[in-house]
Amino acid sequence: MNQVVFTLNGERTEALVEPRLHLADYLRDTSRLTGTHLGCEHGVCGACTVLIDGQPARSCIAFTVACDGRDVRTIEGFEDDALMKDLRTAFTRDHALQCGFCTPGMLIAARDVVMRCPDADDKRIRSEMSGNLCRCTGYLGIANAINSVIQARRGGGATPAIRTAIAANAPVVQPLAKPWQAFTPADAEAAAPRPAVAAPLDDAGPREGWQRIEESFIANHSPGRVWEIFADTAGVAACLPGASIDEATPTSAKGRIDVRFGPMKASFAGATSLERNETRMEGRIRGGGSDSLTGSRAKADITYRLASEHDRTRVSIVMDYNLQGPLAQFSRSGIVKAFAGRMVAQFGENLNAKLGGGSAPIPLAAGRTAELNAGNVLWQWLWSTIKKLLGLTR
Amino acid sequence: MKSAKFDYTRPHDVRAAIHALADALGEAKFLAGGQSLGPMLNLRLTRPKLLVDVSRIEALRSIDVVNGSIRIGAAVTHAEIEDAGASLARNAMLPAVAREIAYRTIRNRGTIGGSLAHADPAADWPLALAALDAVIIVNGPAGQRSIPSARFMLAAFTTQLADDEMIEAIIVPELSPSARWGTYKFCKRTGEFPDAAAMAVFDPARRIARVYVGALSGAPVPLDALARGIAQQGAVALTATAVDRAIAMAVPELDAVGRKMHAATTMRAVQQALAS
Repeated sequence: MNQVVFTLNGERTEALVEPRLHLADYLRDTSRLTGTHLGCEHGVCGACTVLIDGQPARSCIAFTVACDGRDVRTIEGFEDDALMKDLRTAFTRDHALQCGFCTPGMLIAARDVVMRCPDADDKRIRSEMSGNLCRCTGYLGIANAINSVIQARRGGGATPAIRTAIAANAPVVQPLAKPWQAFTPADAEAAAPRPAVAAPLDDAGPREGWQRIEESFIANHSPGRVWEIFADTAGVAACLPGASIDEATPTSAKGRIDVRFGPMKASFAGATSLERNETRMEGRIRGGGSDSLTGSRAKADITYRLASEHDRTRVSIVMDYNLQGPLAQFSRSGIVKAFAGRMVAQFGENLNAKLGGGSAPIPLAAGRTAELNAGNVLWQWLWSTIKKLLGLTR
Repeated sequence: MKSAKFDYTRPHDVRAAIHALADALGEAKFLAGGQSLGPMLNLRLTRPKLLVDVSRIEALRSIDVVNGSIRIGAAVTHAEIEDAGASLARNAMLPAVAREIAYRTIRNRGTIGGSLAHADPAADWPLALAALDAVIIVNGPAGQRSIPSARFMLAAFTTQLADDEMIEAIIVPELSPSARWGTYKFCKRTGEFPDAAAMAVFDPARRIARVYVGALSGAPVPLDALARGIAQQGAVALTATAVDRAIAMAVPELDAVGRKMHAATTMRAVQQALAS
């Protein structure tokens, strides 16, 4: 429990809170200020909008502990506010609410728009209010109500405060265009290299419900030498960032792969079976695993093929995978592919380092740990799910 | 929709923040504006043991003009950049970009450093700062280092930032008076993450020509040949065929719709820069 002191609707408030308690829960459950409504509870719908230090903020993703020393104002704190009174009247007159659930958040956001954008037209009002959702679809009434308050304030003549706000909010305009001045640019800073996209290896597509990733890399040794290395299950696993093997035989392995995606971490524990076809220089790794924390399950069927290319070896990899649990709803497949490209490239680098005599895997990037950073995969799933589920935006 | 338990600390300087993170042995996360981390915590998609709140560290909170560059502290919010108007007169692209990020409630809390560290492929700052040749100053137990923004983001949600490092500031060059820039993005709904985005910067005095596309599967991608052609020849080099070819070569994995959308955003961003 942490001690916090902040101002709530003008009054000094002391509280002992768990760090995870978000501000909206504190307001509703402890302060009994139930005008702040909770809709989505992850910062999308705008129903919980309050003012923190005078600025609209979402109280469901603001932690109470982080409000220490701040000035918090909820919808109940506008009793004597002249502008809010005008907005309330306008909302009532223009039918800007039906069920009323979004209204407290709408009013707080609207008051900010009126003060900050005193010359806003209907289009600007709608754009400025787009972070607050109304499921009764009363947007026409809401925009009209806000517009009427803005017009009424302007009708009274632009006060110095209004003029200052208008100046501060003028759109950014570039200086008047002069004739195009041709020039030869200096060389650009090279961008980070992008993973190469490999040519398809296998004509038959993946099984129903499975996804396919095809990548390849060059190993700096002969196919014979690379083939030997691939026979060493534990050795190959050591080149996969984040992988650790508990038990390995020539035909099977048990272990785990630790992956990290932004702030998330997961540890997939599982088993694989290994097959090798020496005449075709092809191998197959089939396996599956699960992560107990996120409840994700993954199955993979990996085929690798070695081919000679200018005294070196092209290692081509086809990975078919099937994901269940959180990962299954992954939608932006381009990101998985890009990630897989980097993963395979790093596996290739590590393998080359190993073949070159060095045993230490090459870190993912300067200063990084060698843990597999699967950022894209789960993170992307997370975001796409969040966005999809609630029509969310950010 | 309640976060799992975590401890909270609010250090007063960068050094203390780095120590707090290091002491937690990989179980801590920095909290800045919390506009991406907050939802993740509430959905229990992440469960750090400790949040290190860096949002009030003074050294991370200012915008300063130093030697022809603009230094933006990592914990400066999008809204503060949007409103900085006069102090950013020498790089008006910054407030223009800030103004188009999500909604004002998000911009009031979300920070430029947080956006860069989070590295969503569709976010505005990784794209804008790459196009502006910004430099990211990071700090950690091994000391301070600077990373060119074009190389900072490696892939979706993956950057050059080490586990124990934090972003301290972003150094953005001032634009010369002859500079032109343009930004354009496709959003299905106002404030949403875009499906395609592009930004262009041409600064004859500094011999800089950049056209970048963003909102891809990974980091923003430069269209160097196109930018060079436009710098040398002006609007004649900006043909639909040239843009289409540049996109197809730089981002071959895009499907037909994606290529079209990115070509259109690129065209519009460059047109804005050319004021044509």
